[in-house]
Amino acid sequence: MDAINGLMMGFSVLFTAENLYFCLLGSIVGTLVGVLPGIGPLAALALLLPVTFQLSAVAGLGMLAAIFYGAMYGGSTTSILVNIPGEAASVVTALDGHAMAKQGRAGAALGMAAISSFVAGTLSLVALTFFSPLLASVALKFGPPENFALMVLGLVCTLYMIGGSTLKGVLMIALGFLGAIVGMDIVNGQDRFTLGTVNLSAGIEILSVVIGLYGVSEILMNCETIVKNQMLAEKIKGLWPTFADWKASWKPMMRGSFLGFFLGLVPGGGPVTASFVSYTLERRIAKDPERFGKGAIEGVAGPEAANNAAVSGGMIPLFTLGIPGNAVTALLLGALVMQGVQPGPMFITQRPDLFWGVVASLYVGNVFLLLLNLPLVGLWVQCLRIPYRVLFPLILLLSIVGTYSANKNIFDLWVMIGFGIVGYVLRKLQYEFSPFLIAFVLAPMLEQSLRQSMVMSPDGLMIFAHRPIAAVLIVGSLILAALVFLKRKSKQPHGDL
Amino acid sequence: MKTISTVLASLLAALSFGAFAQTDPALAKLKPKGFPDQPIEYTVVYPAGGGMDLTARILAKFVEKASGDKVLVNNRAGGAGMVGHSYLATQAKPDGYTVGILASNFWGDAILRAPGKWSLADVESIAYINSDALAWVAGTEGPFKGKTAKEILQAAKDKPGTVRAAVVPGSMWEYLLDQLEAQTGAKFLRVPFQGGKPGIVALIGGNVDVAQGFYGEFESYLQAKQLVPIAVASAERVFNMKDVPTFNEIFGAKQFVWNIMRFAVVPKGTPADRKAYLSAMIQTALQNPEMMAEFRRLGAYSDASFAKSTNIAADIQAAAMKERDFYIQTGRLKP
Repeated sequence: MDAINGLMMGFSVLFTAENLYFCLLGSIVGTLVGVLPGIGPLAALALLLPVTFQLSAVAGLGMLAAIFYGAMYGGSTTSILVNIPGEAASVVTALDGHAMAKQGRAGAALGMAAISSFVAGTLSLVALTFFSPLLASVALKFGPPENFALMVLGLVCTLYMIGGSTLKGVLMIALGFLGAIVGMDIVNGQDRFTLGTVNLSAGIEILSVVIGLYGVSEILMNCETIVKNQMLAEKIKGLWPTFADWKASWKPMMRGSFLGFFLGLVPGGGPVTASFVSYTLERRIAKDPERFGKGAIEGVAGPEAANNAAVSGGMIPLFTLGIPGNAVTALLLGALVMQGVQPGPMFITQRPDLFWGVVASLYVGNVFLLLLNLPLVGLWVQCLRIPYRVLFPLILLLSIVGTYSANKNIFDLWVMIGFGIVGYVLRKLQYEFSPFLIAFVLAPMLEQSLRQSMVMSPDGLMIFAHRPIAAVLIVGSLILAALVFLKRKSKQPHGDL
Repeated sequence: MKTISTVLASLLAALSFGAFAQTDPALAKLKPKGFPDQPIEYTVVYPAGGGMDLTARILAKFVEKASGDKVLVNNRAGGAGMVGHSYLATQAKPDGYTVGILASNFWGDAILRAPGKWSLADVESIAYINSDALAWVAGTEGPFKGKTAKEILQAAKDKPGTVRAAVVPGSMWEYLLDQLEAQTGAKFLRVPFQGGKPGIVALIGGNVDVAQGFYGEFESYLQAKQLVPIAVASAERVFNMKDVPTFNEIFGAKQFVWNIMRFAVVPKGTPADRKAYLSAMIQTALQNPEMMAEFRRLGAYSDASFAKSTNIAADIQAAAMKERDFYIQTGRLKP
């Protein structure tokens, strides 16, 4: 089989001391930037991009890809331990992961997060190995109408994220949309709600929103209770997932892998959407959905598998079509171009050594990351013994550095602080942020694909009916939405929204 | 003989893998006393990894080789380039340590979006780098398979609003279509995208009929025979698309020139000796065939009228004024 031979060649290209060293280095750096809040994979990759110019293509690409994976592994750590997601893709992990930590099961959550990441990462690499050229055509089938339908599905999934009041949840989704409207209109290029400042003409920086809403506001909340600081570490119940945890987790892990891989593949998807959709799915099919948000391990295993699988899935359009799905893969594309490679339909045939070498480095990177992260679980749990009055100023400092380093724009820091205060108030009023954030992430793509579809369509909304993939996705979304509202209504007979 | 020694010096430096910097002697003569005593910062207004960023990083690499000085690339992204443009025009210190590596869409920001805050006069151009011409590409399947640009324009005239063209709103993608529609009476269905590449992918996926983009953006699809360039908006034919006619040839006209021109600027008020040195650093690097080869690999070409210019600041200013005239003619700017 071509794929097997190719992979063999890849490993033979990869196994030099230099390549393996840079793969390991990338894994370490990636885990670190994932753990540190504020400093996401994007900032780390941008910093290290020039270094790769001096390296061979396999070493350079292998290192960058390992950083990307590593950040997905490490990103769950602060989510679980202190309820502060390092980046958007690990926001959902905080829901149940932190609840588990509060019950003294941080070790189990961290361990399961690492194992899910590894399983999903490896499974989706196998799919990438065998089906890359085939799957590339799937990505091409997603034109504007299909993207719109996918975004609608993603949005309906957020309805499942709403834990408490439906009204408050829907309000947050609406606010997420409003927030995303700020910036340049994609059709006529006019500024919208930018208050006359250029800092807002590309919209509100997502990193500032995530760090502010989740990180800063969490720290503000804890300032109130810091005096009566109860250290979580006092009641740690064991470091590893139990047999029951495994039994509960393996199916979500598989579903998360599959879902994440597919969502990584299509243009509108990516790790963030994948983690949200996986969480929704697990909660939807669970026998006792009430456990979710209160420490259900499925809520950690599924999304963590999904976001890692989405990273591998995203490599397929990158390698075979030259389409980067997000800012991070755009950077990987830049690194490839600097190495003299134009990723695209001819990449695999023209440079098989490089393609398979990079694929092999992804396999090895995943193994490195697992070996690196499992022993670290114990260490991270020990971090809980650090008093909050020491830990939180440190996290705040890192958040500021990370947010600033992304664009080197002071304005982003003000946005971060502003969202921190907004987040604090909203927490006091018991609003949830997840629906806000996912709406904020999906809205630009939703708007763009809808407006593109409307321009392309000769008969208005009918374009979604004429295109089979779009039609199936839209119908699916409508059914899911109906189910949500029916269920909520039956649960709250007094109309207490 | 100066050029040959420059080339040799650069080649030597390249062969040494930068282990020791072989400073160009002609360049060393221009070096102001005590400058630079810290790294020079090349500011790019787009995120790392894009075409602009790669150009700046390649340039930085070869400038370091030629001068022995340290050059860093700094991305100040945001506001579709506006944040970085404003930074260079209003905030950056004119001490010679900040150089902007810009593309010609800087002019659009300066002329249309910045009035009242800053203007073209707030920066001074010091060197021309390279250019990328906007080309029309059509699919190798579907109703417009094998059609020429003229035939597609005719189709868009016969059935107005049915031929789907990918555009990037508020940019040269739109300006070129405006000109072509005005010339031929055609009317396109304009599908908006955020950048050239997404439009090209939509062409491959059969979601638009014509896309517009730069060579580097569609090269891999061209090799896979999934699309063909059918016309190019440059003054003369481009080296990597020798058999593709220019729009000017097709219509016997002169106005269809839309390209990304890349050039370097410094904030207004940068000391003359430092400015001269910074300019010479780039000029020397441009003599290096190895760097030019890297630029060609990205699809960029060297526009002779700028590359051979003796007063680059004036020539770039003139090009910006030509664009300003277009904005006035099309009602985008009130004179």
